[in-house]
Amino acid sequence: MSEIPCCSGESRKQSDHESQPRYWRRGGWLLVALPLWFLVYHFLEPFAQWITASIFKLDLKSHLGASVTFFFFDTPKVLMLLTLVVLVVTYLQTFVSPERTRAILAKRAGAWGNLLASLLGIITPFCSCSAVPLFIGFVKMGVPLGVTFSYLVSAPTVNEVALLMLFGMFGWKIALLYAITGVTISFFAGLVIGKLGMESSLEPWVLEITYNPESVEEAKQSFSDRLDVAVQGVRDIVGKVWPYMLAGIAAGALIHGYIPESLLVKVMGKGVWWNVPLAVLIGLPLYSNAAGMLPIVQALIGKGAALGTVLAFMMAVISLSPPETIILRKVLRPRLIGVFVGVVTIGILVVGFLFNAIL
Amino acid sequence: MLIEVFGPGCMKCQTMEKHAKEAVEKSGGDHQVVKISDYAAMASRGILSTPALALDGQIKFQGRVASSDEILALIKG
Repeated sequence: MSEIPCCSGESRKQSDHESQPRYWRRGGWLLVALPLWFLVYHFLEPFAQWITASIFKLDLKSHLGASVTFFFFDTPKVLMLLTLVVLVVTYLQTFVSPERTRAILAKRAGAWGNLLASLLGIITPFCSCSAVPLFIGFVKMGVPLGVTFSYLVSAPTVNEVALLMLFGMFGWKIALLYAITGVTISFFAGLVIGKLGMESSLEPWVLEITYNPESVEEAKQSFSDRLDVAVQGVRDIVGKVWPYMLAGIAAGALIHGYIPESLLVKVMGKGVWWNVPLAVLIGLPLYSNAAGMLPIVQALIGKGAALGTVLAFMMAVISLSPPETIILRKVLRPRLIGVFVGVVTIGILVVGFLFNAIL
Repeated sequence: MLIEVFGPGCMKCQTMEKHAKEAVEKSGGDHQVVKISDYAAMASRGILSTPALALDGQIKFQGRVASSDEILALIKG
């Protein structure tokens, strides 16, 4: 009996994998997948219109027809963009680790440190459950508190996936605007916190930790190793954010089809000063992944909402999240948490007003 | 061998722990998997991003979920 080869699903998968040619496993599949991606992406809009008109028998100009087309166009579009973007970003991120970032930022006091931290926050991978170990590791190795905060604000606010998706959906101007906005907020938030000298507002245990960092020996990674990490990243991230995205697209579709432009301009247009604080107020307690926000942003801007208001709303939703704030409470005293939330909120408000005034 | 998995308890950290246990099972050896979710313990070991995994006290992975095959390769050394 024991000679019978085991045939569980696991081992079959393994042998399938082994039977693929070597060049295919090493990334050769990209040569097929990428052109196919662009081909399909190109035909999404006519396909969505065809579904709406021929299968659902709806008038494309009706409210329902517009909503349905938006949904069938945006769902595959955003999913495909997300997949490609996450693949590229995760691949690039295998080159930047938090250790490297910390080495760059250590002992760098002053505004340069804040700027550098804000810029590095764009590309470095960041998961809110890493916030605490990262925070302690930075502060303990001599990264100034203000510089650490610039990084802590920038990392979730200027999300590298959202940045590239904005580029894909709206072009480089809006993407650049988003990056500059996020970096500016992070820069000033860290600068203010650094100037206030709030080192005493850390929880005492943070200062008492004996810090014995071990050297981490990361194995050398080849192209296909990094690609494997990237494919895993696509599985993880796309697998995690798709419910947020579908919800976002559905909300976007409703806005697109049913909310009249005149009403939206009256409430969210440029001329209305109070819509920025209102957008921030509504956005702060909400938490969504950046990818889920984009379809809503797209629908709002398409209907004539002011860019400053929409950006302020998006930043408020993705930058300050209740889960992250609760996690940070473990290392920060309430006073510092208050300053952190306050400074970021003010930054978002200023940016909203500024964009509405100058654009 | 002692395998330590560091993580506050998010999805990724749980996956890492599961992969470590799978790797131990595949190796057939007598290895121990310990989950460490205390921030102070993590921080004092110098861990910057979670999930992380240490083998016999030496940190091997950090900031990403390693597959069970990767962990198995480490165990076999």
